[in-house]
Amino acid sequence: MWLFLLPSVLIMALVLAYPLASAVYYSFFSYYLGGTGLRFVGLGNYLGLLAEERFWSDLLTTVIIVGASVALQLAIGLALALALYAVGAWVRTITLLNFLPHVVTPVVAAIFLKWMFMGRWGLLDSVFISFNVFPPDWLGDPIWAKASLVLADTWRFMPFLMLVLYAGLQSFDTSLIEAAEIDGANGWQRLRYVILPMMKPLIVFVVAIRVMDAFRFFDLVYVLTNGGPGTATETITLYTYQLAFRMLEVGRASALGVLTLLLIAGLIVGMILFLQRRGREVV
Amino acid sequence: MAARRNRHRLLLAALVLFTLVNLVPILWGLLISLKQPADAFAIPPKLIFTPTLEFHQEVWLERGFAGYLLNSLVIAGVTVLISVPVGTLAAYALARMRSRVAQPLLIGLLAVRMLPQILLAIPFFVMARWLGIIDTYPAMVLAMVAVNQPFTIWLMRSFFADVPVELDEAALIDGCNRWQAFRLVVLPTVRPGVAVTALFSMLLAYNEFLFALILTGSHTKTLPVAIAEYGGEDINYWSLSAAGAIGIMLPPVIFTLLVQRHLIRGLTFGAVKG
Repeated sequence: MWLFLLPSVLIMALVLAYPLASAVYYSFFSYYLGGTGLRFVGLGNYLGLLAEERFWSDLLTTVIIVGASVALQLAIGLALALALYAVGAWVRTITLLNFLPHVVTPVVAAIFLKWMFMGRWGLLDSVFISFNVFPPDWLGDPIWAKASLVLADTWRFMPFLMLVLYAGLQSFDTSLIEAAEIDGANGWQRLRYVILPMMKPLIVFVVAIRVMDAFRFFDLVYVLTNGGPGTATETITLYTYQLAFRMLEVGRASALGVLTLLLIAGLIVGMILFLQRRGREVV
Repeated sequence: MAARRNRHRLLLAALVLFTLVNLVPILWGLLISLKQPADAFAIPPKLIFTPTLEFHQEVWLERGFAGYLLNSLVIAGVTVLISVPVGTLAAYALARMRSRVAQPLLIGLLAVRMLPQILLAIPFFVMARWLGIIDTYPAMVLAMVAVNQPFTIWLMRSFFADVPVELDEAALIDGCNRWQAFRLVVLPTVRPGVAVTALFSMLLAYNEFLFALILTGSHTKTLPVAIAEYGGEDINYWSLSAAGAIGIMLPPVIFTLLVQRHLIRGLTFGAVKG
């Protein structure tokens, strides 16, 4: 049986374990690519980053964008799933069409969105200007740029939530909902006390997937704002990218990557603990 | 009952309206690709114009996008050829082992998949530079195998888990060894699963941007990098880059139609069955 695992283990040792171990190793060194080589600095890179204002403001930006977009995606995705479930007609066509933004190559999706948001020539602006309304600078204003990114991310990932939540709804036992209906529960009460509690585990599952993925948020930001204006929309991943591949500071970039990893791990552990405690309260 | 039917009709209308609004960015891109640049940025937006395919032709034939498509296909294809067979073997083992042993391994794989990709990209770049294989196919293929492998194993495992263990046991009793039971009895029953997994990992490699950005160059540039360089900024190139963008979009759209029954399973690592 173990022989079946062997090829995969060998490959993963070569292309996953070894590179990751090297990244952790680099993170303890001052390592400028194209420079003099490695110089051991211990925790220097980490302490340097933690003392940096840019790190904290990027972290805040990431948390704001991730939080807002996951919340928005969940709200819209859930509403769509429930609407599809209630209507029960044309489901396949509507889900497939709404699903397109999610399968389109991310960079291409970002370019489509750029043509929406772009100053002056973008679709939003030309519509606004035709009505003689002066629009805000969607990608150039620090606050609007964040909002635009939230919308962009929502456009990309809402379909995923819609599809999974709808599949969940379909797999539920309808007799409970019918029983509630016979007992005189109105639509809102059925949703609040029967349907949502049944969906809770699935909701937690998809939100967890999304939060972890969202920390890797890169393609959309890179094409839409590249972190600008200034560093107003710079996420942690984008900062790591700049450090590693623009400034060639491999040591510091690796340290930042490891910090991101620890953050995500902390988040997951926190979520698991939270769920376990909630579970105990119910029992 | 009539009130209810009306409510349903209203809800359906709202859904259709939402869908249309949701598709505006894609439709708008399609329109730009068919317009002359002068029409593309007219204010107010021009909806009536003479469509032209000249930009589609130009971008794919004269601007080298056909070559980038070839690069994308080679990288995605070779990645699948390595990742899927190897992953399928591992998935079979994990689906048939005692769960006390398999469970921690699977969780570990999931954790790997949740890593920030950039943390993997840094050492890949350093090593590829050191080995002098930047801008070659192997660098990109290895990176894509690394990204794909945990996903491939998870998805395939969910297909193997659907096959009753009794099938293996019957084969073993009939005198097959493990390999024969796998190769002759179990594998043929999960053939659709292999196809779906291959398509999913192909799409993952085709869409990849971060690794392509740092590991490819003029010889191996893939479509996402090429279109990002064209960008959406310079309005003189709008029609061209829209034509490129629409073309790049087609394979994923066809993919969706092909795997629609398995979309949910693929998107959730096989955890939720649609």
